[in-house]
Amino acid sequence: MRPALRASRRTLLRATAAGATALAAGCSGGSRSVQVAVVWSTSELDRFRDVVRGYSPNVQVVSAGNDIDAFLRARHLAGTSPDVAILPRPGLVTEYAQRGWLSPVRGSTEYAVPAGLGELLTAEGQRYGVWVKAAHKSLVWHLPSMLPVQPANWDALVRRTQELGALARRDGGPAPLAIGAADGWVLTDWFENVLADVAPESYNTLARPDADWQSRPVRDALDRLAGLWSIKGAFVGGGRRALLTQYEESVIQVVHTKRAVMLVGADFTADVADPFQRGPEAPVTFRFPGAEPGGGPLIVGGDAAVAFADARGGVELVEWLTRADSFQPWLRAGGYLSPNTNVTIDSYRDAVGQRLAEEMRTPRTLRFDLSDQLPGAFTGSDGVGIWRIMQGFFADVTDGVRASEAIRRATGLLATAARSAGGGR
Amino acid sequence: MSQVRVLGELAVLDDVGPARRGRAYPAAGATSALLLPAAVLLGGLVLWPVLRTMHASVTTDGRWVGAAHFRAALATPGTGAVVGRTVLWALLVPAVVTALGYLLAAASRRSQEGGLVRLILLVPVALPLVVTGVTFRLMYDPDPSRGLATLVATRLTGRSVDDAPQLLGPGLVTVALMSAFVWAWVGLAVLVFRSALDAVPPSLADAVRAYGGGRRHVLWDAQWRPLLLRTTAVVFALVAVGTSRTFDLILVMTPGSVRDEASVLALRIWQTSGGTTTGDGAALGVVWLVAVIGGIIVAALFVRQAWPPPRVEAAPEPAPAAPPRRVFRLLAAGAAIAWLVPLAVLVATSAHGRVDAAARGWWSTTPTVESYRDVVTGTELWRTLSFTLLLATAVTATVLVVALLAAYPLAWLTGPAAQATGLLLLAASVVPIQVIAGPVNEVLGLVLSSGTAQGLALVHIALGVPFAVLVLRNAFADLPVEQVHDARLGGRRWWHTLRRLARHNLSAVVAVGVLEFVQVWNDLVVGRLFGGPGASPLGPFLAEQTRGFVSNSGALAASSVLASVLPVVLVVLSRRHLVAGLVSGGVR
Repeated sequence: MRPALRASRRTLLRATAAGATALAAGCSGGSRSVQVAVVWSTSELDRFRDVVRGYSPNVQVVSAGNDIDAFLRARHLAGTSPDVAILPRPGLVTEYAQRGWLSPVRGSTEYAVPAGLGELLTAEGQRYGVWVKAAHKSLVWHLPSMLPVQPANWDALVRRTQELGALARRDGGPAPLAIGAADGWVLTDWFENVLADVAPESYNTLARPDADWQSRPVRDALDRLAGLWSIKGAFVGGGRRALLTQYEESVIQVVHTKRAVMLVGADFTADVADPFQRGPEAPVTFRFPGAEPGGGPLIVGGDAAVAFADARGGVELVEWLTRADSFQPWLRAGGYLSPNTNVTIDSYRDAVGQRLAEEMRTPRTLRFDLSDQLPGAFTGSDGVGIWRIMQGFFADVTDGVRASEAIRRATGLLATAARSAGGGR
Repeated sequence: MSQVRVLGELAVLDDVGPARRGRAYPAAGATSALLLPAAVLLGGLVLWPVLRTMHASVTTDGRWVGAAHFRAALATPGTGAVVGRTVLWALLVPAVVTALGYLLAAASRRSQEGGLVRLILLVPVALPLVVTGVTFRLMYDPDPSRGLATLVATRLTGRSVDDAPQLLGPGLVTVALMSAFVWAWVGLAVLVFRSALDAVPPSLADAVRAYGGGRRHVLWDAQWRPLLLRTTAVVFALVAVGTSRTFDLILVMTPGSVRDEASVLALRIWQTSGGTTTGDGAALGVVWLVAVIGGIIVAALFVRQAWPPPRVEAAPEPAPAAPPRRVFRLLAAGAAIAWLVPLAVLVATSAHGRVDAAARGWWSTTPTVESYRDVVTGTELWRTLSFTLLLATAVTATVLVVALLAAYPLAWLTGPAAQATGLLLLAASVVPIQVIAGPVNEVLGLVLSSGTAQGLALVHIALGVPFAVLVLRNAFADLPVEQVHDARLGGRRWWHTLRRLARHNLSAVVAVGVLEFVQVWNDLVVGRLFGGPGASPLGPFLAEQTRGFVSNSGALAASSVLASVLPVVLVVLSRRHLVAGLVSGGVR
């Protein structure tokens, strides 16, 4: 009874919507723009507007800011959902799909993403979203003059941190690491990189509803992190100060004030580094080190495009966005990494972009950002979920709490948070 | 006998006053028509959402679950601390603001520099709370090479730079937030106390002295007992309700890692429900709602007085009285200087470019206009400013019209009906918007789409109307008999009467208008909850920029300064009307 009822209500809604759009089309002389809601603002928003101009002048791009989830919920309640949205987390795509808000979409023939990414945007065997932008999250940034030899693996990174930390404590040299621990996502990025290296096979299982957050892999990853984070003098001003340092300030500590040597950060770190660069020396990167030399993890994040149910022209626009040359304007301007492996490496204007795109195509170790896949509030925000838990763990290990005790606390909180996020909402 | 007569003044102050009912009272049909806009707004956007939230707090998908949501919400780790902190805010901060307000009001009376002192204290009152947050975060920057307060604390405690006291750290963050709040609110308390002190007839003090009373007796019998007790209660309640605004400060001032240590109910509800109606969020909301409304009703009963309010005779000029003692005058001057420091930090930071503001303190480099140039040449700030101006003007005009219409018939109510209306309006004006955001969104969805300028304006209007009606109703009821007579004789119809009465009540109308305008201009929460792509006002625009605090300090400070000019000018220019309007109406 209920499904039939729901179907008939949906048909009614659809009919009403069709009527309304026909009316609107009639009023506006037949041309109705496609509305796209995005998280981007300022320069990224301008770039994306350049991109969709290539599709049609009738695309209206609106910036919903970081609270795009709340924005879309409100618009849904009001019955004025946009036609297309670009979502920063795959968890949102499946959540909306399960609620029946989305319409299935298809990629163009030129759409191909690295293995493991496509499945994140499917629900009940249907594809509800496509990847349109990627972020490379396994990079360590530094100035060449500050770190002549790049650590080849994790142990080398720990040794280098110990040496530099001892120097910093003795005669006030630069600290080995800058970290924006006031922003929880910085710490989850660290955790994900280490986890992908310690236990590549259990990484993806943690995103499932039945994940065991007190399991061995989680404890091992936290133990490895504790080993590095608890080194005396590892961070600028110590752990307490690091917890008040925002991500952008940590970039400045490396590229401008030179109070720290290394920084773990995604490819978009360049956007902050550029205006604060001093002199001709630009920061360079190496891959986040794993246990084996040359075999580090690769964590990627990304933005996915979805079309809302009953949207007009939404599915077509989403399909167009997956074409290999759609994002050319943004590629030319820089600061864009494509998830589409059919975008030629030559399209990237600089060597760094080319290398990152190349790395994304090595399927061996690629993992998608774990915290972005977690359900409900567990996914994290300021003071909430896994962000808060990792900050508590960071505070513990930098404050001299024994690693085993800190790990016990953190895994207990992770398990509780996972349970309450999976059960409710 | 005289002693009794001194206290006998008290009886005059609380007298019922001359009866003046039954004149210019609009007919029943007209009354309904006058009340209709306010009733529809309050019913649809305040009352129904409150009921809906209460319903959601005891049901899941329409099924009765009893106290399950309350138990779940209160059992969440940390909720106890959050509730405790909210109570601490509601008790400690008003106490400090009230005490400081009284001290500074007394210290800045009848002295030459007093006016200047009060003017300086008034400026923070007008600032958007987001700007206050930006200012104090700049001052409390954990790096002693940028944060002035951290530098001073480091010097004073003799600690090394790496071990600097962290005012924004988990231990002190609530103190830091409270200091910002006190800074922003003391000016208002001074304003109210000053007018209360001026209203105390000096003859009272003379009489107490004449009967051998010392300074202490004068304070007690001639100031505290007749007037200040009520004023103190009113200021305390006002500030206590104001502490629900800490939300803006917490959002701007606390780094993500200490947000839990600073969290209060407003923030917890935001984090739990995020602008939609969920069971647990609704349960927390109901707890908060009951506490706020319960508190305000207790305060209102405590300070209640005869209705209609008695006419206070105009106080004779207190010119011959001596100025306060030197030590008090120094206190006032010191406070003024201390209150100027944060403003100076904000302006000084805005006078530095992006790199300078991020890398070193504003005191160590020469000022430039780089940040202003960047902000002014961009289109975003101007678009936001003009949208906010339009929004605030439209909302203010609508609120004034709706409230004037409703206040007119309500002013003629007497007895329990008048008391009940007053309490209802008071309760409606303190409902925290976070609590009812979900249902309000649903209502907006029915009327017009949320996330639009009209939707945003509608919410502001609904939130502004109860307070405006309250102030204007009280002001109407305060009018002297002769003026009502004149208005009644001069106006052929009730709306002519209304217009004439409004003209006599210019102060109250100006006060309501200015307060409503400044409220909308300075708002963050409503913009956050109900704004959208086409409706992005100033508060959310500034708050968005605080994500990259250090790397963006220069431009952020410059935008903050530009955003504050209009509200500060308005409040400073209209301060006399504000006091007169509020004292005759709002603070009853």
